Amino acid sequence: MTTALRDLITNPNAAELELLARYGMLPEDARRARAFEAFAKEDLPHRRIEGWRWTDVKAALQVIETPPRITVADTLITDNALVFTFTPTGFTWPEDLPEGIRVLAKPEAQAFGGAETMPLGALAAALSGGGKRPGTLMIEVAGTDLPRLHFQFSGAGEANFARIQILVRPGAFVAVSESYLGGAGFTASLLEYSLQKGAVLSRTVYQRASTAEVLASTASVQLDEGAAYTQTTLAFGAKLARLETRVSHQQAGAKATLNAAYLCAAGHHADITTDVRHGAPACVTRQVTKGAVLDGGRGVFQGKFLVPRNVGQKTDADMQHNALLLEEGAEVFAKPELEIYADDVECAHGNTSGALDANQMFYMRQRGIAEDEARALLTEAFIAEALETAGDLEDVLREQARAWLAR
Amino acid sequence: MLKIENLTATVGDDAKQIINGLTLEVPAGEVHAIMGPNGAGKSTLSYVLTGRNGYEVTGGSATLNGENILGMAPEERAAKGMFLSFQYPVEIPGVPVMTFVRTAMNSQRKLRGEAEISAPDFIKMSRDIAKTLKLDPEMLKRPVNVGFSGGEKKRLEIYQMMMLEPKFLILDETDSGLDIDALKTVAEGVNAMRAPDRGMLVITHYQRLLDYIKPDKVHVLAAGRIIKTGGPDLAHRLEAEGYDGVLGEAV
Repeated sequence: MTTALRDLITNPNAAELELLARYGMLPEDARRARAFEAFAKEDLPHRRIEGWRWTDVKAALQVIETPPRITVADTLITDNALVFTFTPTGFTWPEDLPEGIRVLAKPEAQAFGGAETMPLGALAAALSGGGKRPGTLMIEVAGTDLPRLHFQFSGAGEANFARIQILVRPGAFVAVSESYLGGAGFTASLLEYSLQKGAVLSRTVYQRASTAEVLASTASVQLDEGAAYTQTTLAFGAKLARLETRVSHQQAGAKATLNAAYLCAAGHHADITTDVRHGAPACVTRQVTKGAVLDGGRGVFQGKFLVPRNVGQKTDADMQHNALLLEEGAEVFAKPELEIYADDVECAHGNTSGALDANQMFYMRQRGIAEDEARALLTEAFIAEALETAGDLEDVLREQARAWLAR
Repeated sequence: MLKIENLTATVGDDAKQIINGLTLEVPAGEVHAIMGPNGAGKSTLSYVLTGRNGYEVTGGSATLNGENILGMAPEERAAKGMFLSFQYPVEIPGVPVMTFVRTAMNSQRKLRGEAEISAPDFIKMSRDIAKTLKLDPEMLKRPVNVGFSGGEKKRLEIYQMMMLEPKFLILDETDSGLDIDALKTVAEGVNAMRAPDRGMLVITHYQRLLDYIKPDKVHVLAAGRIIKTGGPDLAHRLEAEGYDGVLGEAV
């Protein structure tokens, strides 16, 4: 490693040295270099950086090593899905693509506009590629009668980096899903969704990993006029799991729905972070996040709505976060932020955390439902609203949540 | 059937004693009414008997068919046949009535070591009972008690009672919030549950409900004890003379 490279990070830990080494082995590329420098400016994100206060990646990721193998079935793979897999060492994509879907696996990195504000997205942009893996996987979608695109990020190894750009052409309609099933000590992905005029995209994110893994999924979403983006997430956390979405309403009448449920058992940390910029008039955002946490689990919700004064008039936005602390020792950190400069807007938010309702618990137990079962039923009902937007995958997600609750 | 002897119990963190040496026996096949003024301990008694958290027994005993129920979890008592019809039935958003009752029924069966009910049997039973109670079958697909009127909530309690076929029923202020038609329907449901091997405790403020559910005995509860017991006519006397009149005489 050259001295110049090492100077990018001050006092790097073993994990950061490994990231530097990986960067050094990739071919020279000015865009890659800019992405890596954007990442390296603040090192791995840590608790002294606003936005990472409760999700200290630097502390959690001391070294990058292969975790003990745990196999998790990917229940989001169904007959009608086109499956793309990213593993620490390889990449597969479907041979036969239907009309309307074009895929380009580019070896080099592409420019990443939001690099400064999304350090782990920038890292994914910088370290994707090498070997047979694409530096950027570009997908163009046109048409309406299309199969679901499914991206799976899993497989044993030290680290798994991936970058995918999806361009949805005007009026196109497509469903996309992502499974993060663990297997690598560190996973970082960057997904860039660009919806052109009137395009509709539904994205489902399923995340499950062990307490030995650190994972960051960063999504950057651009919405043109009248585009509709719906996101539904079910996260079980990991040693650290950060699922971050940045949405930019760029033209009038765009709509974003950002729903998520997190369920965290002992040793699991799930962070749902969203940032929505209402940069055009009459855009709509709906957000429902529900969480349930057991003793030793930790949930983080950070939601931000920005409505600039000159462009954000007639914004209609609502943010709700409700968390259940199922046991003593459960932790939930929440930071809802509304930053509104326009005067003709409707923006609301609600944020609650608490225990299960004692009246409901007693009512159910009086009818003969055992305490654990009553708790599971109430918790499933509590998070259900957040999963309703998953379309065909709602039942799959509900089933996963139910199985977790029944443990 | 249900035998309570010298029961004492406290409520809440400050352990306020609400039940003060209560003794009462309801034999199988009988319906007993408990009447009493506000604060007498009527609802407390129903919660103590069904095992609600925060209600602590400090002395005495309560047995169902000779079995001590006070050490059991609420769900175990339910599986033994205890059923409480709530004064204020609780809303359970997101859990449809059918799912709720079927889960309850199968949990009870599991606790008793019995096989689960089959889906067709359950649906048939539910349909028959809904018809008896003039319940809209659509209502049973909605979340438990959410958006139900007072009368619908009480009828749903009776529906659950008929589905779960408990051995001993406690009706806590079942008449509150009901108009006369709803009261009649509910009372018919309760009367249909009368059986030689089943006991009932009907807790009420007013004598009105007892015109429709005829009790074998009426007990007056005051300051956490039964202070007077009589036949059905005692309810009429309470109505006519008020608790003060009757209690004054007892003291």
